Amino acid sequence: MSTIDWLIMIGTTLLIVSYGVWKSRGSKDIKGYLLSNKDMKWWTIGLSVMATQASAITFLSTPGQGFNDGMRFVQFYFGLPIAMVIICVVAIPIYHRLNVFTAYEYLESRFDLKTRTLGAVLFLLSRSLAAGMTIYAPAIILATLLDWNIYWTCVAIGLIVIIYTVSGGTKAVSVTQKQQMAMILFGMVVAGVIMVFKLPPEVSFGDAVHIAGKMGKLNVITTEFDLTDRYNIWSGLLAGTFLYLSYFGTDQSQVQRYLGGKSISEMRIGLLFNAIFKVPMQFLILFLGVMMFVFFQFQQPPIFFNENETQSVLSNPDLTDQYQGLQQSWDSIYTAKQDRLIALAAAPNDIGDANEFVEINALQAQYDTVRRQAKALLKANNEYYDDNDSDQVFLTFILNHLPQGLVGLLIAVILAAAMSSTSAELNALATTTVVDIIRRMFIRSGSDQHFLNISRITTLCWGILAIGVALFANQVGNLIQAVNILGSLFYGTILGLFVVAFFFKHIKGTAVFWAGVIVELLTIGAYIMTKLKPEWDFGFLWYNLIGCALVVVLAMLFQSVAKE
Amino acid sequence: MAESPQEVKEQEDKELREIFPLFKSWRGLYTFVLAELVVLIILFYLFSRYFS
Repeated sequence: MSTIDWLIMIGTTLLIVSYGVWKSRGSKDIKGYLLSNKDMKWWTIGLSVMATQASAITFLSTPGQGFNDGMRFVQFYFGLPIAMVIICVVAIPIYHRLNVFTAYEYLESRFDLKTRTLGAVLFLLSRSLAAGMTIYAPAIILATLLDWNIYWTCVAIGLIVIIYTVSGGTKAVSVTQKQQMAMILFGMVVAGVIMVFKLPPEVSFGDAVHIAGKMGKLNVITTEFDLTDRYNIWSGLLAGTFLYLSYFGTDQSQVQRYLGGKSISEMRIGLLFNAIFKVPMQFLILFLGVMMFVFFQFQQPPIFFNENETQSVLSNPDLTDQYQGLQQSWDSIYTAKQDRLIALAAAPNDIGDANEFVEINALQAQYDTVRRQAKALLKANNEYYDDNDSDQVFLTFILNHLPQGLVGLLIAVILAAAMSSTSAELNALATTTVVDIIRRMFIRSGSDQHFLNISRITTLCWGILAIGVALFANQVGNLIQAVNILGSLFYGTILGLFVVAFFFKHIKGTAVFWAGVIVELLTIGAYIMTKLKPEWDFGFLWYNLIGCALVVVLAMLFQSVAKE
Repeated sequence: MAESPQEVKEQEDKELREIFPLFKSWRGLYTFVLAELVVLIILFYLFSRYFS
C-alpha cells in the first residue's frame, strides 16, 4: 500500500472511532451505558442493526460468492423481511413494555430463572467464539494479502474496538456503526463503478450483464426443493425466516441495538428499514461480485487467489512442473475466451442473442477443470490448505485494480465492518453477563456507578478474550466454518424458548427448560452424526427450523404430562 | 387505568404517522414490506429468466 493509502486508512478509522467516543462521552449510569439512555432514532437503529449483521467477512465473502456461485445466495435473505415484521408485531411490544436490558430477562418474567439462564448461557456460548472470529477472519485475509503480521493485525483491530466499546458502551457502538455503515456502502458503490469503467471499451454495461447471464451467473431464483442445497427459495423463505427470527429477535447482539430506541415506533422502523433495504443491498453486493466475474474475463485472474498457497506449491520441486503446466493451459484458455468475448461485444448483433456462448461456456468449463486440477496440487502440497479462496477475490481486485487512495479507503471499509460487528458482540456479551448472570445471581444490590464499572470491566474482559480467540484461531483447522455451524446449532433452541414464551401461554418454565436442554443435546448429537455419516448431512439453515419446532413439541408434551 | 388494545393500536398508528406520514397505520407498513418482498422475488425470477 502507498503512503496515501495508509494515511487514508488510519485517518478514516481514527476519525470514526474518535467521533464515537466523543458522542458517547459522559455515560454515568448503567441504563445510559447499556441502552444509550433509550434515546436512539430509527435511522441510527436501522444502520446499527445492518452494521452488526454485516461483518467484514460479509463484505469480502459476498462479492466472492457472487464471483464463484452467481446471484443465488440472495435467497438466503428472503426470510429476513418476514422475520422483521413478526418481531415488530410480537416481540418489540413485549420487550418495550417490560423495559428489559436483555431479551433473556423476558424469559424469567414469562417462565423462571433457570429458563432465563439457559437462554443467556446458550447466547454467551455461541457468541463468545464468534467475537474472536469476527476479528480473526478479516485479519487473516488482510495479513495474507498485505503481508501484515497476523497477530498484530488481530491485536490492533481488537484494541481499537475495546477502546470505544468500553468507554462509550451501546451509544458508542451505535454511533460508530452509523458512520461505518455509510462508509461501507460508499466504498462498495465506488468499487462497483470503477469495476464497470475498467471494462474494455467494446464492452458496455449491458454487454457485461448479458455475458454474466449467458455464463450462468445471474441465477437469482432456484425453485427446486432440495434439503441439501443451502440456497433456494424454499430454504430462504422457510428456514431463513426462523434463522432471522432467532438472530434479530433473540440474539442480544441485535436485540440490544433496538432496545435503545426512543420509542416503540423508532425501534420498529429501525428494524423495518432493514426489512426494506437488506435484500436489495445484498442483491447489489452479489451483483458487484458478478461484475467482478465479468471484469476478470478481461483482466487475467490468478488460478488460485491465495498467493501464499500458490507460491508454496511453486517452491515444491515435486509439483512445480505440473503447476506451471496448468498455468500455461490457464493462460491459453483465458486468451481464447477473452478474444471471443471481445469479438462478440464489438459485433453489431445483440450480445444477448449470441449463440457463440456455447463455445465460450465450453472454454469456461475447461477453465474450471484447470482450476480444480490446480486445487488438487495445492492439496497435495499442503493437506490443510483452505480450498475456498472466494474471500480473497474482492481484496485482490481492490489491491490490484483500484487507484491509490481508494485502496486505503476500501481497506478502511473492511476494518470498519470488522469493528462494527465485534463492538456489538462485545457490548452484548457484557450486557448479558452483567444483567443476566452477575446482577441477577451474584451481586443483587449496588449503586449504578458500581454496575457501570462492572459493565466496563466485563466488556474489557470479553474484548481480551476475543483477541485471545483470534490469536489462537490459526492453531485450529477450519475454525471459521466451525464457528458458523456453532451459531446455527444454538439458534433453533433459543428461538424455541421464545416461541413457546410468546405463543403458548399454557406452557410453564420447567417444561420448556427441559425441552430446551434436550433439543440442544439432540442438535449437537445430530451434528456429530452428520460428521460421522456425511450422507446424512443437510443444509445448516434447517437446524433453526427443526430445533425450534422440536422445542415447541417437547415443551407441549412435557406440559401435558406434568398436568396429568 | 389500562388502555384497551384498540387505544394502544391507535396511539401506535399516530406515532407512526408523526414519523412517516406516508403510512397511515402499522398494518399498512407491514403490508408494504411484505409486498416489496413479493415484488422483489418476482422481479428476480424474471431477471433470472431474461438473462439466462
